[in-house]
Amino acid sequence: MKTLMLGAAALLLGTTAAQADYPERPIEITVPAPAGGGTDTSARMLSTLLEAELGTSIAILNAAGGGGSVGVTQFMQARNDGYSLLATWNSPITTVPQMQPTAYAPDSFVPVASTSQTAYTLCVAPDFPAETGEEFLAELAANPGRYTYGNDGIGGTMQLAAERIFQARGIETVAVPFGGAGETLQNFLGGHVDIYGGSISPVLPYAEAGEAKCLLVTSAEAVPALPQAAGLGDLGLGDEETLLWRMVLAPAGTDQAIVDRLIAALETTVTSPEYVEFLAGVGEVPNVVTGAALGERLQGEFDALAEVAQSLGLAQ
Amino acid sequence: MELLTQIAGSVLSLGSVAAMLGASLLGVLIGALPGLNPVMAIALLLPLTYSMEPLIALGMVAGIYNGSMYGGAIPAILMRIPGTPAAIATTFDGFPMTQRGEAARALKIACWSSAIGGTASALALMTIGPLLARATLHFGPAEYFWIAMFGMASIGVLVGDDALKGLMAAVLGLLLGTVGLDNLSGIPRFTFGEPWLLSGLDLIVILVGLYALPPVIALAEQADLKGLSAAALKLGRARLGWAEIRGMVPTWMRSSFIGIGVGILPGAGGNIAAFLSYSAAKSASKDPDSFGKGNPQGVAAAECGNNADNAASMIPALALGIPGNVVAALVLGALLIHGLQPGPQLFHQNPALVGGFMAQMLITSLLILLVGGAAATRVFAQVQRLPGVLLVPMILVLMAVGVYVINGRVVDLWVMFAAGLAGYLLEKLSFPLAPVVLGLILGPMAEQSVRRALLISRGDATELLTRPISAVIAVATLGLILWPLLRAFQRRRRAAARD
Repeated sequence: MKTLMLGAAALLLGTTAAQADYPERPIEITVPAPAGGGTDTSARMLSTLLEAELGTSIAILNAAGGGGSVGVTQFMQARNDGYSLLATWNSPITTVPQMQPTAYAPDSFVPVASTSQTAYTLCVAPDFPAETGEEFLAELAANPGRYTYGNDGIGGTMQLAAERIFQARGIETVAVPFGGAGETLQNFLGGHVDIYGGSISPVLPYAEAGEAKCLLVTSAEAVPALPQAAGLGDLGLGDEETLLWRMVLAPAGTDQAIVDRLIAALETTVTSPEYVEFLAGVGEVPNVVTGAALGERLQGEFDALAEVAQSLGLAQ
Repeated sequence: MELLTQIAGSVLSLGSVAAMLGASLLGVLIGALPGLNPVMAIALLLPLTYSMEPLIALGMVAGIYNGSMYGGAIPAILMRIPGTPAAIATTFDGFPMTQRGEAARALKIACWSSAIGGTASALALMTIGPLLARATLHFGPAEYFWIAMFGMASIGVLVGDDALKGLMAAVLGLLLGTVGLDNLSGIPRFTFGEPWLLSGLDLIVILVGLYALPPVIALAEQADLKGLSAAALKLGRARLGWAEIRGMVPTWMRSSFIGIGVGILPGAGGNIAAFLSYSAAKSASKDPDSFGKGNPQGVAAAECGNNADNAASMIPALALGIPGNVVAALVLGALLIHGLQPGPQLFHQNPALVGGFMAQMLITSLLILLVGGAAATRVFAQVQRLPGVLLVPMILVLMAVGVYVINGRVVDLWVMFAAGLAGYLLEKLSFPLAPVVLGLILGPMAEQSVRRALLISRGDATELLTRPISAVIAVATLGLILWPLLRAFQRRRRAAARD
């Protein structure tokens, strides 16, 4: 008994010593998206700041494909020693599993911290017969099946975000899935689809130049960068909010002390003026939800999107 | 004027020049090593430059990008191993030239053609770029469908002697292209429950295996223990005569035009540009049968075409904020980190930086002549003197490293080896490989585009033909299919008249 206790104490001492030294070697962050995209860019920017904060180097591993599920599945094999982390956006965790069988669920990871968020937006050409969010939805409702909207891919978070709103108002539109916001933007500007559906940052310069009329954002609150766009709260649809947000997760079983150290480091870096300025440039705002609260946020979103997917007949 | 001096000052600063020169050398090296590719190199190196001046980072991108497009030609010509996917078409005539003892001449032609294609492309980026970018917006799903069909029709020019085998190879490519999650229905196809197959077969992994492995196996079969003697490698002695240069001008002009056209359309790529340039050169030639047997025009067309794709592929990114390929996406990512907002206002927002990057694309194109011609070609070509017993394992290791780094997955190595084995068997059975590649690249593009177009037209297929641009490309596609028939008919009539 005594030796056992001694052993346990030694073990405990050993682990605390290891955690006190954390991190002793480079950290690898898996990004389940291709290099150059929004998730990649923000993870790389964050990692340069985290390197200084944690005093170790950080390598980014891009593992793209399957709407992010390929990289996240690959991350399931990662060791839970605190040197393997996942920087992802919400879709691979909360949306993709609705459509595909995945080897993971929202609770398969240790939630560390969310970092930033932004709304999706719906924009139309300047000559579209609506000037406000309410008029926009009314026009769509009055003409079922008439308008096409481009989105980031079938069953993607963007599509589900739009469908949540459309379903609440009984609206029928034709969804045209593209390979990403860049492609959607190209087809929207060329007049091939009527409505741009995607993240704010690519379309922002066109909204400012008056070439696109952004009438709706998928957040409850309005977004200052898009003054003409209504927030869902203004339309009484606040409950249908769907955001694009980013987070850092760790493999299941990662030591709590290490997670706490990471949370502290992320809280500092995400709210640093440098990062906030970077986020503003891409139309995002910092949003730090940590630990268990982050886990609840993931599960809540997963359940809400399951309902939409179910009613769209997309669910697996 | 003030802007020009400002651009010249920053582009010709010590850091920028060093970045361009170093990156061009590195680019040629990366291009020359099969498996390593410019996208990966830029993705790995760009983050290291975030704390530096933006023009140092962008000079590095320009150098690696342009240098590697030429570098890919070196092993393509010397060993029939394309260093980058875009150099596949270079192997068609480059390697037969080497077998004829004209390696030096082929390398010189590749070097000049790359520089000329790159320069033409950079000039297009600097002058008519923004105008052209607006024009690309008229290309919707229907137009993309026809572009893919046009590319597939060019398979007819590339199939070689046995048309049936060529078509079978193309169908194999089309089949491979269907693997993965279907973006339009969300349904996985041929994935057998394997998550890594959801994103489809990685193009680069397949291309490295299919194209680089068979020549390596062929090298191994020779069981060469000695390597070439120094005397056998006559490099640096080749001179291009004026007559020859004059003969290439039409090919260079045509390929630059094609490369720029393909580059500016988001989603198409350098390998399509090289294939189309090659098949255009062959179609236009008075002696199409000499292509594939060491016609220098084939090397010139492919190399000029793939470099002309480069700067042009930056046009939609810089002018509209729409990245047309991964390198352009990386450049936009870097600009964001430096606090710039990509979009139509980018040039007005920071003309010195955007203009500087354009100038760097131009300078690094010209640097190919210096770096590629004088230094790199001579150094890398010496690799060929290594005996096969050393060369084969070295190339295999490099290929494996390059393929592994793309996604960090072991399974990609198996895919590469399987593709390589398939390529080896296909070659033994004298199936052409180029149609496989075109099928794999163009199949998904054609399928997704036509389905999107039909979604937009609510299922009305006539809209594929009634839009002006798609009608033009459709007619051109038909012409491309009928062209060899017309020529054969003409030849037969002429022969009949002579009798």
